[in-house]
Amino acid sequence: MSIWESQYQNAVGEISSPASLDDKILQMARQFKPTKVENPWQSRAAGSCVAVAVILLLVHPAQYLGALTPGVHSANGTQKNPLDGWHQSRPGSTQGGDPWFNLRSQVEAGSYIELCSQWRSQQRGSASDKLPRNLENKARAHCRLLP
Amino acid sequence: MSRKDFQNLDDEALLEYYHSTRNLKAFRLLYSRHKDSLYRYCIQMAPSGACSILEELWNGLLEQPPQLGGRRLRSWLFIRINRLLRNFTGTPLEASQNPEDQGNKLLAGIQQLSRIERNILLLHLECRLPLATVADIERISLRNCREYYRNGKVRLEEFLYGSKRQPWQIQEVEEASV
Repeated sequence: MSIWESQYQNAVGEISSPASLDDKILQMARQFKPTKVENPWQSRAAGSCVAVAVILLLVHPAQYLGALTPGVHSANGTQKNPLDGWHQSRPGSTQGGDPWFNLRSQVEAGSYIELCSQWRSQQRGSASDKLPRNLENKARAHCRLLP
Repeated sequence: MSRKDFQNLDDEALLEYYHSTRNLKAFRLLYSRHKDSLYRYCIQMAPSGACSILEELWNGLLEQPPQLGGRRLRSWLFIRINRLLRNFTGTPLEASQNPEDQGNKLLAGIQQLSRIERNILLLHLECRLPLATVADIERISLRNCREYYRNGKVRLEEFLYGSKRQPWQIQEVEEASV
């Protein structure tokens, strides 16, 4: 490269495209909207498969394995039914929805007949409702063990 | 595809990618690669119409993608802009009336060359096109193109440094000044 050629490179190095021209041309380029890239893996068939998979997941019975289903108890009995601790207030119960109110009142009055009867039923396994812990303790203390 | 990936693409691949996706970042990179060189060439060939010619050039590229057919995009751009310059008949491609206004003696000297000499010199020097391509653009033989190029360089050097062929004139001037 001769001297004047390198001088030329230095001289024109300062000349660059004006910003107004750049803006105008880039503005023209913006008028051409980007085209969507067609991805073969995102086809309509693939989208349908995804929709079916989501529906299957939603309606699959395994979705509700842990759900609370009244009247259905666990098969092996090891799993505690969360509904066991819940007792609907019976129409006979009086104060505060306590099902043991009458029995408790009798015990407090000194009558253990009903309590012991209930306790024995429970021991035989024929009682529908299990006595609460405090009544159980009183029954152990006061009721005779019958053969 | 990220901007970093664009950097690795050559002009032709980038143009193809742009025309298939119309990705603005791809065009911006392509434009930035050539804009200054094109502008410098154009402003020296047609000072009054450089901007409008460049707008027409890039608009044509945007609207109708060039079929390069194995050619380089750089060659296509300068072939195309030469065609636009020839059609730009509104203002003749003449030298600047006052070369000293250029602020640079070298650039002013280039303006003193004839249109064909200036075009060949700039296409080879500024645009880094081979003389064979320049000859095709000017539609002349390679031999004539070389001749124009050599003459242009000689005339430019004369403009810059004075004539070296007649040293006796210097002696005459020196004697006259004494």
